[in-house]
Amino acid sequence: MVRSALGPQGARLNKGPRVGADYIPAATVVAGSLLSLLPIVSATGWWPDFGLLMLLGWRLLRADAWPAWWAAPLGFVNDVIVGNPIGLSVAMWAAIMIALDILDRRTMWRDYWIEWAIATVVIALSEIAHWRVAGLLGAEVRFNISAGPAILVGVLTFPIAAFIATRLDRWRLGR
Amino acid sequence: MTAPISGALREVTTTATGLVGGAGNYWDAANQNAQLKRDRAALMRRMVEARGILEENQQLKAALQLREHNREAVAAGRVVGSSFESSRRFAIISVGSSEGVQVGMPVRAAEGLIGRVIDAGSIASRVLLVTDRANIVPARILRGGQPVISTGRGDGTIDVRPLEVGKNPFKPGDVIVTSGTGGLYPPLVPIGKVIRLDDDGAIALPIADPSRVSFAIVEPPFEPTALAAAAESASEGP
Repeated sequence: MVRSALGPQGARLNKGPRVGADYIPAATVVAGSLLSLLPIVSATGWWPDFGLLMLLGWRLLRADAWPAWWAAPLGFVNDVIVGNPIGLSVAMWAAIMIALDILDRRTMWRDYWIEWAIATVVIALSEIAHWRVAGLLGAEVRFNISAGPAILVGVLTFPIAAFIATRLDRWRLGR
Repeated sequence: MTAPISGALREVTTTATGLVGGAGNYWDAANQNAQLKRDRAALMRRMVEARGILEENQQLKAALQLREHNREAVAAGRVVGSSFESSRRFAIISVGSSEGVQVGMPVRAAEGLIGRVIDAGSIASRVLLVTDRANIVPARILRGGQPVISTGRGDGTIDVRPLEVGKNPFKPGDVIVTSGTGGLYPPLVPIGKVIRLDDDGAIALPIADPSRVSFAIVEPPFEPTALAAAAESASEGP
């Protein structure tokens, strides 16, 4: 008799990864990008970059959520949907994946606070890059009315994205 | 592609915000009523004056033989979204090139100027709002007619500066309107209302709030030749 059958009836039997479990992380990143289509007309651009938050949530949860090169097409989808200059997220998301791969080799241990700190740095760099690119395209706004609040909001909403990624990970693997 | 869905959802959010605002209005109904009556009387006097001025204006124009062609809107659509994740200020409207919208056309609401088209898809287009840093609108102060330049500040307000250096010409409450210089924006469309002065200019709030206007009206450029110039500059980069 299989050991799992000794547990509560039906709790562990026939549980396995869902169909298409490999694609669920990438799909949630695209879904995060799609949130920018919500009919919100805001006077300020302080909402977080939902696609990036989901990407970070998954990548910090596990290194094998998707092959590293998927960051480029995912970034392209994000650029097209959100309306960034095409290539901005492609370059940035690919760079983030590489940076986190390097970081994975260097760090001795990981806990919740270290992950949040990493996410803070990545979100800040990303918003600053957006801010600089906007400046290069002729829209130089003051840092403390555009990128500053956006970084704060992004950092504070990251735990929600991380929570969603964790729950979805358990669901997709059938645990 | 998703503009129809966004449009439907937009209706729901507009209704919800309208309900909240409407409930607040009931609290103060009596005072508001008296205030509105006073305002109405003042406006009536103002209207009579304006009509007099209009007639005088027509006579003077007839004397000068100025031609003024009738302007018809290209298309009218709803504001269905915005770049709320980015520091740029864009809005998406639900009309596109299939309705005749072209890059560079000015977009306004009944209340005032919204911006200009910088991307025209087939069923939706992207509008550069007057609050975007890169949108520079030639304008003037309605009171006195002094020429000013209006630039967005990226946080929902507008920066206005006089063209001529000197004494700060603004007063809180001044209405800024387009001047028609450059030929893209039609003249006398309200842009903003001055709320605060700074050292040599002022900060204004846009009169047409893109999150509240019901319809965005795309108009042909005031001078048709301005469209070609706008398309050229748009192809170089927004």
